[in-house]
Amino acid sequence: MKAMIVKEFRQLRRDRRTVALLVGLPILLLVVFGYAAKFDVTSIDTTVVGPNARAVAATLPRVYKVANVAPRDTAADATEVLRNSDAQVAVVATPNGNRMLIDGTDIFIAQSALRQVPAQTIPEVLFNPTLNTAYVMVPALIGLILLFVGTVITSVGVVREREQGTLEQLAVMPLRPIDVTIGKIAPYFLVGVFDLVVITLAGIWLFNVPFVGSIWIFCAFGLVFLFVVLGLGVAISTVSRSQGEAIQLAIMMLLPQVMLSGMIFPLASMATGVRWIGYLLPLTWFVEGMRGVFLKGTGFAALALPFGVLVVMAIVVFGFAMLRFRRDLAPKHSASPDRATAAVGAE
Amino acid sequence: MTTIVVRDVTRVFGEFTAVDRVSVEVRSGEIVGLLGANGAGKTTLIKMILGLLAPSAGQIRLFGELPTRQQRRRIGYVPQNLGLYLDLTAAENLEFHAEVFGVERVPTAGTDQPFAHELIRTLSLGDQRRVAFTAATQHHPELLVLDEPTSGVSPLSRSDLWDRIHEYAEAGAAVLVSTHHIDEADQADRLVVMARGHVVARGTPREVVAGRTVVEVITDRWNDALEVLDTHGRRAALAGRSLRVLSGSIDDVRRDLAADHIAAELRLVPATLDEAMVALSL
Repeated sequence: MKAMIVKEFRQLRRDRRTVALLVGLPILLLVVFGYAAKFDVTSIDTTVVGPNARAVAATLPRVYKVANVAPRDTAADATEVLRNSDAQVAVVATPNGNRMLIDGTDIFIAQSALRQVPAQTIPEVLFNPTLNTAYVMVPALIGLILLFVGTVITSVGVVREREQGTLEQLAVMPLRPIDVTIGKIAPYFLVGVFDLVVITLAGIWLFNVPFVGSIWIFCAFGLVFLFVVLGLGVAISTVSRSQGEAIQLAIMMLLPQVMLSGMIFPLASMATGVRWIGYLLPLTWFVEGMRGVFLKGTGFAALALPFGVLVVMAIVVFGFAMLRFRRDLAPKHSASPDRATAAVGAE
Repeated sequence: MTTIVVRDVTRVFGEFTAVDRVSVEVRSGEIVGLLGANGAGKTTLIKMILGLLAPSAGQIRLFGELPTRQQRRRIGYVPQNLGLYLDLTAAENLEFHAEVFGVERVPTAGTDQPFAHELIRTLSLGDQRRVAFTAATQHHPELLVLDEPTSGVSPLSRSDLWDRIHEYAEAGAAVLVSTHHIDEADQADRLVVMARGHVVARGTPREVVAGRTVVEVITDRWNDALEVLDTHGRRAALAGRSLRVLSGSIDDVRRDLAADHIAAELRLVPATLDEAMVALSL
């Protein structure tokens, strides 16, 4: 038995990724739960509109961080501010009384606002009046499922080629690297599109999640996000020696996205450093876009930032993955043509 | 026509030189055997010829030109691990290869076999190698590169595979075969023997063996002799009632045995092909 234990430790010591998973993951979980996993909301972005806006803004409890006071704006303008995610709460202050419009797409913030409604103010939750958890989770889960399917299946599919030695065979066939790349990724892209449609329809049908936004914006977000996750999958495959390693890496990339994307815990409640990690994750921006499209009917102009970030991520991640994958298929030419003239893959 | 010309090619991995200034030529219609023990540099050389690895120095010409992607249509390759999709059937693998090379699938090659519609992973290694060979040749390449094509197959399958390789060369293709099976060396028209990244011998099998000798030791105390030679680091093997010593001169062997008072009759005899290969690899 002692020999077995010693052997196991020796193997474990040399398996750096498993060690990282065993040591790094608990630390990550601790940091995440300590600094990010907070349901308590201490600051709510607020805009105050209406003729009495200035006076009311001055009397709001401290939790309402008033970012904008617009006495000339109306309730319709306030609704638009919430729709565009420029504020989480809007107070409409009129001589006839005050109304507090609350964005219901962030449940914890909405609940916190409802608990601290100022006196003589009528609260009204918009976009998710019953604060139904499924309404906000389903759009986010679409992203999570695509992320899981996209990264795991793509990375495993590409690594399998390398494990079986068929990648080497492809590299000596009369195929351009782009043919192999597109031929390899296109099926996963189509499966991803299929998943996107099926999960969305199932979400709407099973959980009665409203879809009030533009189908085109939904498609645009879905396609760009798919490029990001497929790029991640290929990138993982290029640094993994086996399917097991690829799955391990994919899961290591998945966990922070679940925790830090705002899908479960509000970004506003996280410590600044942890929140910035969240901003670097594609799921964060996809969740923001999907909740806007599904529940608020947010227009493209207001979603330009999350969409733009996803486009940049798609270009960077997909581009990096393609370059790495291409390197596997066609090795670089030697720097000095007179020293080595095997012009690999030259036209 | 010379199909492959490799001139002074070197490949370095970090501080390790896997292939060191190697030159090889393969002409159409001939089978060139690339022989050497594991780690001799055969597979690295093959990968450079196929463009899977860029040489650190030296020149490679295929069909008289620098290697291009278009030339790959003229090349058939069977890697050591076969390069077949294990989760596709034999027929599906052949179909994929045929489509990539833009040729009609050979109707009688492979797909008429009883295993045509079996998954590759369920086939014996011999059948897998047969499918891999068919896949690599169905576009009628002018250059066939086979990396350890008979590794792990039965003698019958091996013989069958060599028959097909010969048929292919007779039809005019240049064939480069790497193997560490010394008994297959006779199948090649010419041999290039590699050891530790260098070419240590080349020529026909007869030329490679020619002039090479081993020391034959005849003694009643063959067991003691074997032990003594082993302690002196000499490679020796028992053949009948005599020993055949592959390393060291006849005087060296005589001195080693005399030191332990082992009486023996010693003489130089021609080396077999096996012995020549082992001696070259030392």
